[in-house]
Order: sequence, then structure tokens, then C-alpha cells
Amino acid sequence: MRAYLSTFRMRRKLEVQYRGAVLGGIICQAFFGLVLIAIYRALYNGKPQAMPFSSVASYVWLQQAFFRMLMASDPDLLDKIRTGSIAYDLCRPLNLYGFYYVRIAAQKLIGSLLRGAPMLVFALLLPEGWGLSLPASPAALLWALAGLLLGLLCVCALENINMGFTMRTLDSRGMQAMLNLLMMICCGNILPLTLFPDSWQKVITLLPYAQLLDTPIRLYTGTAPLSDAPRMLLIQLGWTLALTALGILFWNRNQRRIEIMGG
Amino acid sequence: MDTIKLYLHSMRMLIKSQMQYPASFLMQTLAQLVMEGGEMLAVILLVDRFGHLNRWEAGDLYFFFGLMSVTFYLTECFGRGITGNFPYLIRTGQLDTFLARPRGTLTQVLCSAVDPRRITCIAVGVTALVIGSSMSHVAWTVTKALLLAEALVCGFFLLLGLFTIEGIFCIYSVKSVELVNTLTYGGRSACEYPVDTFPRPLRVLFTVLAPFALTLQQPGSVILGKPLFDWPEWTAFVSPLSGIVIFGVVWLCFRRAMRYYRSTGS
Repeated sequence: MRAYLSTFRMRRKLEVQYRGAVLGGIICQAFFGLVLIAIYRALYNGKPQAMPFSSVASYVWLQQAFFRMLMASDPDLLDKIRTGSIAYDLCRPLNLYGFYYVRIAAQKLIGSLLRGAPMLVFALLLPEGWGLSLPASPAALLWALAGLLLGLLCVCALENINMGFTMRTLDSRGMQAMLNLLMMICCGNILPLTLFPDSWQKVITLLPYAQLLDTPIRLYTGTAPLSDAPRMLLIQLGWTLALTALGILFWNRNQRRIEIMGG
Repeated sequence: MDTIKLYLHSMRMLIKSQMQYPASFLMQTLAQLVMEGGEMLAVILLVDRFGHLNRWEAGDLYFFFGLMSVTFYLTECFGRGITGNFPYLIRTGQLDTFLARPRGTLTQVLCSAVDPRRITCIAVGVTALVIGSSMSHVAWTVTKALLLAEALVCGFFLLLGLFTIEGIFCIYSVKSVELVNTLTYGGRSACEYPVDTFPRPLRVLFTVLAPFALTLQQPGSVILGKPLFDWPEWTAFVSPLSGIVIFGVVWLCFRRAMRYYRSTGS
């Protein structure tokens, strides 16, 4: 356990090194957020919907703030397999899956906190209808935070499965791009899931991708009633456990047939 | 003339080299298709829920989307040397070799890369243009076709110019400056929709500073028969030239900046 904690700490230190890039990233994301909200506002003016607009604005800002959580973040593994230095990782007295899981979790958590916190402050200061609204209730905030934590665990498990494919095929850029994109669409980053056709939402909210950010955001904005919260968190928990189990199985199989390259 | 021959020759070589890994190439091309398809899906779903955006109907929205995505991915495909590789050339010092050759730096940068995977994105854009224009009942004439071609070419140069700005920053700072992405990628995402959707500051940004409204949308809206601005129709032929003007200005700045170029020396 101590080893995993120190892995986490090491990645955290790495992540806070590039503060200049962080600032650039924040400004970019904020700009995208404003553009999206402007478009949705104009559409709403033409045809108001049942869901209040402030929820849509909050949805956009929360997605932008935690954007970093969705991005594939660990390109090292591919290089290690290509160059053969994966051998060093295999020598460590650690479970390979756990080692990479912790690395990814640190990167995603710290990366999105660094970018998310200033952006959320900015979004809270914007006028009503443009910015982030306060959570529906204190209880909703607590449920949403729990949901966000489960979402983080779920996205790490998901990414480790992607990396499992990388170990198999060596060049998985095409596959990776496709999975990333599926993520962007089904997470609600390109278009809020709450604006998808109502009939689609019944299915799409059950997919693992919706568990990452969509569930906590719905709880935060109050789009999902609090009575639904336990059920939604159970779905999240279910996916997290299933994906983690699948990932561990997959990695163990990969590890048995891995070839060390190099020379 | 010689330069064009050189460019075409480089393109042939680069494409040939990329085809050496056909499976990976195919997968990546497919991934591009899904990516741009996803963007279009967002527009379709929005149209499905809301029906229209101010005075723009579904067909108009698809048309504007197609206009932007064809232009943007043509630039990403043929201007890859600038849109993607330039920061890398600076960081690794590879740009030095270009300075020793008897051709313009920008020409050689353009010759250094091509990205044929974008072909599927362009195809999505063309599909959107066709669907959009038929849904909006556009009666195509030679003039309109010429106007469309002019818009695409000028939009190409505008984007090339905007991406070159990033290159100029890069010459001074070595690191790539992602802030400029707000103009390029941000411009793409925003100007998939007509600019009159946006509040004034954004509208000014995309009409004056990064004039997507003048190069793409003014001619596009005239083709649709719903002019974006209350200007006489012939202005639609003049306004796209702003893209070329921007490219010219940026090109001059690039030449000045190159005088300050310090090799990273590795």
C-alpha cells in the first residue's frame, strides 16, 4: 500500500510542474465553454425546454472543468513496451495493473483539480444564465462529490482496459483515437447528455461512459432527483467493479505472453 | 511553377511512406471519420431537439457546418507542416536544415508533412454541404459554385495564416503556445454555427480578428439566399479575400520572426 501511495505522490509532483501549460489550457477550455453556452442559449431562446437553462450552463462548465479526467493520459507504457524497458516495471514488487492504475488516478485527479478549481471559480463569477449555478442543495453536492469519486475510479479502470489493448497491438493509435472519441461523445463532452433525445437517454445513461461525469453533474444540478441518487451510485459502483475485474484479468493474461523487445 | 512541382513530389513521397503501414492507416482514417461524424451528430441532435437557430433552419445549419469542416480539414490535410509539425521542427532543431536549402522556409515546412487521414473528415463535410444545400433548396448556378470555391480557398488561407501565428510564437518561445488554439480550434468549433448566434465580443473576434464570418459565412449565407449582413450581394465575392490578406500579413511577420530564430542547437 505504501508503494502505491508513493507512486501517487510522485505523479502528483510531476503533474504540478507545468503551470504555464495549465494556464493556457484553462483559458482554452473557458473559451470553449463560453462558445458552447452562447450556442445553447440561442437555441433555448428559440424553443425553451423543460430543463432550466441554468442547468445546461452548469453542465457545460463542469464538463469543461473536469475535461482533463477524460483525456487519455499515460503515453509512457507504449514507449516502454516498444523499447523493452517494461522489463523494469515487471521486476517491481508491485502488481503491474495496480501500479498503472495509481499513476493514472494521480494524473487525472491532480490534473483536473489544478485546471478545474480556477475554472469553477471563474464560472461561478459569471452572470446568471452564463455561469455555473450553485448545487441544487447541500445534499446534492455531497452525492455529486461521491459520484465524482466513483467516476474517477471508473475512468481509470476504463483506461487501463484501453492500455491492455495497447500492450497487445503495439500500435493502437487508431483504436485509441476511436475509444477517446466514443468517450467524448458518450460522456457528454461534445453535447450534454441531457440534450440528447429523451429516448436515447434511457440507454446512454446506463453505459459506463455516462458514469464518469454525467451522473455527478446530474446530481449536482438537480436534474436527477435525490431519491434516484442511491440507484445511480449503485450503477456507478457496479461498472467500476466490473471494469476493474475485467482489466485485472486482461492484464494478467497479457503479462503471461508479453515479449520484451530491445537490444 | 517549380515550387508547385516540388510540393507535389513531396506529397507523393509522404503519402507513399504513410501507406507502408496500411492497417494502422486504415484504423486512423476510420477514427477520423467517427470523430467528424460525432461532431456532425451533435449538430443533428441539436436540430432534432430545437428545430432552428434564430432564423437559420436545419439545412442552413448543416451547410455552415459542412463549409467549416471541409475548409478546416483541407488545411489540416495539406497544411499539416504548419498545423501540426512546426513546433516539433523548432524544438528538435530540424528547422536548421531547411535554412541551408535554396527554397523559402515556409514552403519547405509545408512540403514536410501531409495528413491524408483527414480525407474522411472532408468527406463528412462534403456530405453535410450536399444535405444542407438540398434541404435549404439551393438553386445552384455557376456563380454560386464559383463563390463556394472562392470561400473554400480563402478559408484555407485564413486557417493557414492563423496556424502560422502559433508558429511565430513558437519561434520566440520554443514551446508551442496553446493559447492560439482559441483562434484555430476555437474558431472551428464556434464558426460551425453562424456568427450572429454569438454575443458581440465573440462576433467581433470572428469577423475582424479571425474573419471566418467574412471568408466562409458571408458567401455561404448568400448562397443560401439569406445574407448574414445587410450588404449588397457582390460583397460576398470581395469579403473572402480578407482571408488572403490575413495570410499575407502573417507571412510577412513570419519572415521577420525568422530573423530572430535561434537554433535549439541539438
